[in-house]
Amino acid sequence: MKGTHLGEFEELVLLTVGILYDDAYGLGITDEIEQRTGRTVTVSSVHKALMRLEQKGFLHSYMGGATEERGGRKKRLFTITNSGKEALREARALRNELWQAIPKVVWDGGNI
Amino acid sequence: MHQSPNHKPPHLATRFLRWYCHPDLLDEVEGDLYELFQRRLETQSLWKAKAFYWFNVLMFLHPDYIQRRKNCYPINHTAMFRNYFKVATRNILKHKFYAVINVLGLAIGMSCCLLIYLYVQHELSYDSFHTKADRIYRVVTDIKTPTETINIGVTSAPMAAYMKQDFPEVEDMVRLDGAGFLIQKGEKTFQEDKAMMADSTFFKMFNFDLLQGNPQTALKAPFSIVLTEDAAKQYFGEEDPMGQRLDIEGDDDYTVTGVMENIPENSNFTFNVLLSLSTRLEKLTPDRNEQWGNFGYESYVLLSEQADPLSVENKLPDLLAKYTDNEVEDGDMKFHLFLEPLSNVYFSERGAPKTGSLTNIKIFSIIGAFILLIACINFMNLATARATERAKEVGIRKVVGAVRRQLIGQFLCESLLLSLLAFIIALLFSQLLVPAFNQLAGKVVTTSILQHTYYLPLFLAIASGVGLLAGLYPALVLSRFKSVSILKGRFSSSQRGVLLRKALVTTQFAISIILIAGTAVVYTQLNYMRNQTLGFKKDQMLVIDFQRDDTIQEKIETFKQQLGTYPSVQSLSFSSSVPGQTNSGAFSEIENPAGDMQASNVNLFYVDHDFLSQYEMKLVAGRAFSRNFVTDTSALIVNEALAKSYGYAAPEDIIGKRFSQFGVEGEIIGVVKDYHFKSLQQEIEPLTIQLGPTFARFFSLSISVDNIPATIAALEAQWQTLAPQRPFNCFFLDEAFDQNYRAEERFGRLFIYFGGVAIFIACIGLLGLISYTIMQRTKEIGVRKVLGATESSIVWLLSKDFLMLVLIAFVIATPIAWYALQQWLENFAYRVPMPWWIFALAGLLATFIAMLTVSFQSIKAALANPVDSLRNE
Repeated sequence: MKGTHLGEFEELVLLTVGILYDDAYGLGITDEIEQRTGRTVTVSSVHKALMRLEQKGFLHSYMGGATEERGGRKKRLFTITNSGKEALREARALRNELWQAIPKVVWDGGNI
Repeated sequence: MHQSPNHKPPHLATRFLRWYCHPDLLDEVEGDLYELFQRRLETQSLWKAKAFYWFNVLMFLHPDYIQRRKNCYPINHTAMFRNYFKVATRNILKHKFYAVINVLGLAIGMSCCLLIYLYVQHELSYDSFHTKADRIYRVVTDIKTPTETINIGVTSAPMAAYMKQDFPEVEDMVRLDGAGFLIQKGEKTFQEDKAMMADSTFFKMFNFDLLQGNPQTALKAPFSIVLTEDAAKQYFGEEDPMGQRLDIEGDDDYTVTGVMENIPENSNFTFNVLLSLSTRLEKLTPDRNEQWGNFGYESYVLLSEQADPLSVENKLPDLLAKYTDNEVEDGDMKFHLFLEPLSNVYFSERGAPKTGSLTNIKIFSIIGAFILLIACINFMNLATARATERAKEVGIRKVVGAVRRQLIGQFLCESLLLSLLAFIIALLFSQLLVPAFNQLAGKVVTTSILQHTYYLPLFLAIASGVGLLAGLYPALVLSRFKSVSILKGRFSSSQRGVLLRKALVTTQFAISIILIAGTAVVYTQLNYMRNQTLGFKKDQMLVIDFQRDDTIQEKIETFKQQLGTYPSVQSLSFSSSVPGQTNSGAFSEIENPAGDMQASNVNLFYVDHDFLSQYEMKLVAGRAFSRNFVTDTSALIVNEALAKSYGYAAPEDIIGKRFSQFGVEGEIIGVVKDYHFKSLQQEIEPLTIQLGPTFARFFSLSISVDNIPATIAALEAQWQTLAPQRPFNCFFLDEAFDQNYRAEERFGRLFIYFGGVAIFIACIGLLGLISYTIMQRTKEIGVRKVLGATESSIVWLLSKDFLMLVLIAFVIATPIAWYALQQWLENFAYRVPMPWWIFALAGLLATFIAMLTVSFQSIKAALANPVDSLRNE
């Protein structure tokens, strides 16, 4: 299976979907990421990431209702699938492992 | 902070997004972008928000979002096309009759049109193959006398020469002097009528290739000869002609300096033998160089690229004034020079070796267009009529999912294929008809339709255009119907379609009526011309042409006596010209009613004492030449036209008036009744007749009817002993005179054939249409018959619609035909009064043909047993 690997931006998007829980759609996710990270993110890149994540099976999507502010367009809402959660956990575990592998001296900051 | 709910994202961007974006993804993307746009409006200016919107739309342009139209629903195109083709073939096979009518009608029409087109192109191509053709002009002259203006195509020798010398615009000039010569090669003698003398620049100005010899010098030295390929074969056979000597008019100094390619059909030049003009201007008659009044030189000038022919023309009077000291414009005669473009020479009324008629070309173009139009109308008519039959097919196709575009495509392709098929058949037809057509046209218009291909794009375009137009109507109309109503049977051919067809049929018949009337008028006119009393006897008149041979002229009375001894020769005379042949004009001064000598250029015949009586010409006043009056050698006989042009009210009044002509002075002794000494197209011009053998060229012999070949053989044998140096060259006057109508007769025949084709095509179209109408009304006819309708009432029912159309066509066609034919008749000096009955005849004939066609089918339908048509329910 091609790429169950989770890229940095993908992980960010996946996490944000989790944060937004039942109102996770393209633009909402973009806003959330921008607010929390202060990065400028384009809608299209978020969309593309969402599409990739869905293809990898980390996300599940369904069509939400249309609203006036969207010009009568429906939104696609995303929820994290079990494998998505698994992938997040794995990523976190991996990171923790890596954290712990850093020698203490690095943090104590001896001058070289 | 302005927020207006009315602001919408840029429309174009949204459309673009919708166009490329996959429909499954479109909603979410468009929604997000819309929301974002609205939010940006709250904080940013409109155009920034719009720009940002654009930016975002473009950012989504990514393979994942672009819709994959093609792969969505795979369609087997080949299968579909195969189906179309199969259905089309079945349709044609099922309705063979219509298909054949349809394709053949169009093919015949197109091949006729193609042949006419080739003919017209050929006529227009005369001398256009010279690379400098657009800069070459012929210098022509108008001679004005107090009584008339004579337009001639020639000028005198010095004109062109001085034009070249004085005008910087004139780059080059060529003068041509046509003549007939007696050419001897060893023992053999030939009378060469197609000889010309030309300036050495001839090959530089005109694109005739020399096969042998140097084009620069071939015509430079006096006594040089250039032969065409055919002439070289005639004189020298297989020998190499270069450097050989020929004896011309008893002078053996002439040397062959070149052999040129044969002159193409579409050239005005008709010579076989070209002599250097320096022979004449340097050796034979050097004084011609300064004879401004000796008109006989066809002169061409080549203008430089920047030159304006009009300004050159305007300088010509000054040129005349400068060199001639008014010597030429002496007395009452005035000369005016003009430049005539080379391309106009063929159509010039001033005369050229060959002449075409622009009017005829226009008429043929119109006929060609008419024929094509009629054929196209047929094609479209039948296609639209038959299209309704396929309504069910359309319904079924729609039900199983055909979209409108596919249906339109199907119908268009079908009719396009048919029209292209017709085009291919038309090419075959034309190819087969080429020999017959060439014969009809009296010249080689084309050797094969593959000789040129310039017409291909045009005719392909016409064929496809007709196909598309014919297919367009059914394609658009049929594909629009709702399949439900078609399949339920609630479908009838629309009123508009019927109207359109009616209009087209009316047009066809109007054209047919015009052509019938045209054919009739052309024939009446030709007949009229042929039966016109010519004013002289032309039957059983054998004419011997001896080309003014001076040895014969010297002993002319002896010749006359010797030839007259033969018992079959009833009478004979000699003259300088005979009716229908060229004759020369003479500068003459004749006393007018006021008593002054008035100059004019009139036609002149030199005759002997017996000429007038032999030709049975009648005198209206005075007397004929008589041997009893010795003074008759200085007497003049004129025709009625001359008396009238000089202002004499009655012919008797001119008797006894004085004249002076070619050094002869005397009195007018008689007035001959006008006779057609030129062809009938021309008005009878003033004519003078003098007595004398000086310019004698012809012997006219009235011979008895029996055993003419033996008479001619005996005369020839006698001629050989009398004048061995001169070939025996004879013709019958009536045949030669009729040559003048060849062109008209040819025109009449072409007109009749093409008119016939047009009418034929219109008829088969009508036949197809009426059979179709009847087929549609089979049930109606059955029901009517069951209810007691008579056969005649049914025939009337079926025919009256078409009769009405023919009637309308008649009303439209008559004034058009009247006007057009009136215009055509204006070309003739002697014409029939426009016969009104011809239009009635044309209308009746058209009605008759239409009724014949219609009744053929309608009677069949009326006689059919109603059971047959009704039981098929």
